[in-house]
Amino acid sequence: MNARPDIRPAEAVALGETEGPAIRVTVESVAKAFGDTPALHGVSLDVAPGELVALLGPSGSGKTTLLRILAGLDAPTGGRVLFDGEDALQLTVQQRNIGFVFQHYALFRNMTVFDNIAFGLTVRPRDRRPPKAEIRRRVLALLDLVQLAGLERRYPNQLSGGQRQRVALARALAIEPRVLLLDEPFGALDAQVRKDLRRWLREIHDRTGHTTFFVTHDQDEALELADRVVVMSKGRIEQVGTPDQIYDAPASPFVFGFIGESSFVPVEIADGTVTLDGASLDLAALGATHGKATLGFRPHDVAIVSEGPALSGPILSERRHGGMRRLEVEVGAGRHRAEIDVAVDVPRPASGTIAFRPTKWRVFPA
Amino acid sequence: MSDAEFTTARLPGAAAVRFRRVTTERAPVRIALVLVGIAFLGLFLLLPLVAVFVEALRGGAAAYWTALVEPDAAAAIRLTLFVAAIAVPANLVFGIAASWAIAKFDFRGKSLLNTLIDLPFSVSPVISGLIYVLLFGAHSWLGPLFKSAGIQVIFAVPGIVLATIFVTFPFVARELIPLMESQGRGDEEAALSLGASGWQTFFRVTLPNVKWALLYGVLLCNARAMGEFGAVSVVSGHIRGLTNTMPLHVEILYNEYNFAAAFAVASLLAALALVTLAVKSLLEWHYADEIAATRKH
Repeated sequence: MNARPDIRPAEAVALGETEGPAIRVTVESVAKAFGDTPALHGVSLDVAPGELVALLGPSGSGKTTLLRILAGLDAPTGGRVLFDGEDALQLTVQQRNIGFVFQHYALFRNMTVFDNIAFGLTVRPRDRRPPKAEIRRRVLALLDLVQLAGLERRYPNQLSGGQRQRVALARALAIEPRVLLLDEPFGALDAQVRKDLRRWLREIHDRTGHTTFFVTHDQDEALELADRVVVMSKGRIEQVGTPDQIYDAPASPFVFGFIGESSFVPVEIADGTVTLDGASLDLAALGATHGKATLGFRPHDVAIVSEGPALSGPILSERRHGGMRRLEVEVGAGRHRAEIDVAVDVPRPASGTIAFRPTKWRVFPA
Repeated sequence: MSDAEFTTARLPGAAAVRFRRVTTERAPVRIALVLVGIAFLGLFLLLPLVAVFVEALRGGAAAYWTALVEPDAAAAIRLTLFVAAIAVPANLVFGIAASWAIAKFDFRGKSLLNTLIDLPFSVSPVISGLIYVLLFGAHSWLGPLFKSAGIQVIFAVPGIVLATIFVTFPFVARELIPLMESQGRGDEEAALSLGASGWQTFFRVTLPNVKWALLYGVLLCNARAMGEFGAVSVVSGHIRGLTNTMPLHVEILYNEYNFAAAFAVASLLAALALVTLAVKSLLEWHYADEIAATRKH
């Protein structure tokens, strides 16, 4: 946390770097039900100090519920949350001292940017409240950090969406939070702003070093930004891993299907290889045992072949997809639809059928 | 002649076709609609208002002034102000509490409370007054109880205050609830997560977010509290100089064929309505930016 020549002492104070090292967050079989509807089925997670973790999943996967439980905005129906070993569930939302950034900013519309950022400091009890000059110094340092210097007298409705979200982050950082929680922070922004803010958030995290959770349904955002990605589905954690692990070694068909583009074909495993309609495809079973299984591959990880074992079938449709042409192919006797990418200059076969082999693939037991 | 020139040459002819916005009507329709609107406003709003002031000043400024400072009239004015001074703050507190509860929390019976708030709007004011007579009258079970404690409720000031509070019950809450509901709980959650206590959150975030709607609700509530006739008439007993509010005093004067005095007091009530509207418009005009900021975000 020290030895950062680019940060002046005053700025370091403003960024909460005098608060000591970032904390470890441990989630132990946390469950949550809304009435009879379960939202979380006992999830467990251990996050190292200073880690930047993405909670990734479709809507309804429980990722926001988990974040709100960490913040103290919702109470779990079971399980424990530990901040550096201390039971966080015993603490109120105020005592937890977390920085929460909302999807729709939740800036105080009747306050200027300055007052918004200063809010968390000005509501402190008198004995812990910094003097006015100190508050001012911190707010201005934070405005500098989020690259909004000079806008302190604006009102939230005079700012763009991206600027508002940066004010929201500065406001959360102002209270020197122990953990930073971001709920779909870029969800309401357009694509270009989102990309810029992503890079910028990573830089801020590298400078401030908070243990950070952010919720997203955007896989690109999760993979690009996070140290570790937690993939969630239907209230359960499907996989926890680095972006490389998540992308290259998905633990379940759900993760494989949710991260990146994918095609699935139901197959059978016999003698350690993958077979389709009784014929071997000469693809290693990758540890899957005898019986029914699902073959998964990325549309771009295929090779067109003219002979030998292959997946083949009639081309149903073709359309332009970035630099490639994407074909939808009906494969095998079961007529399963699979998508593959071929080079734009590959001529459409006169027969209307095509044969291909995955060059990289995963096998999931059915 | 190239294609481009050909097109250009034809353009003036094309301009002969009139293009209208799809949301705009033809001139005769527009004029007719505007005239109907103006006629309606003039006939039903402006004309009676003018009539009140004309009638009030018919006997001259001196007679007008005498009618207002006459002891019974002065007492009625004082009583009206006194009742409003209790009813409006009471409903201000209640309205904020109820709309806060309804908009920011989930609890059993929420929709029931929401419906109950509207009750004074749907019940005839006369019924509201009768309810209080039944509750606190000489033959009720609460009336003798209060009487033995030395408090006269019906045909006295407490009854008038109660009836007025009942009738003006919904004004503040009805202004606040839709706004608070549309604003959601995000701001409050943000404030709490930043370490603010419940009261700090309320006074620094929730209340400022609705201050314009609140002011508007209070203005309407006040106008109605001062102008209420039906419910107050039932519980007041019409004792001159004691339990007569301004609207009741107007009625008595009118029934006594004292038209000039009746209209003089009525003009005061009408002026109050005009001032209310003027203040509201002035605020909206002066703080347009800030009001827009609290509405959309």
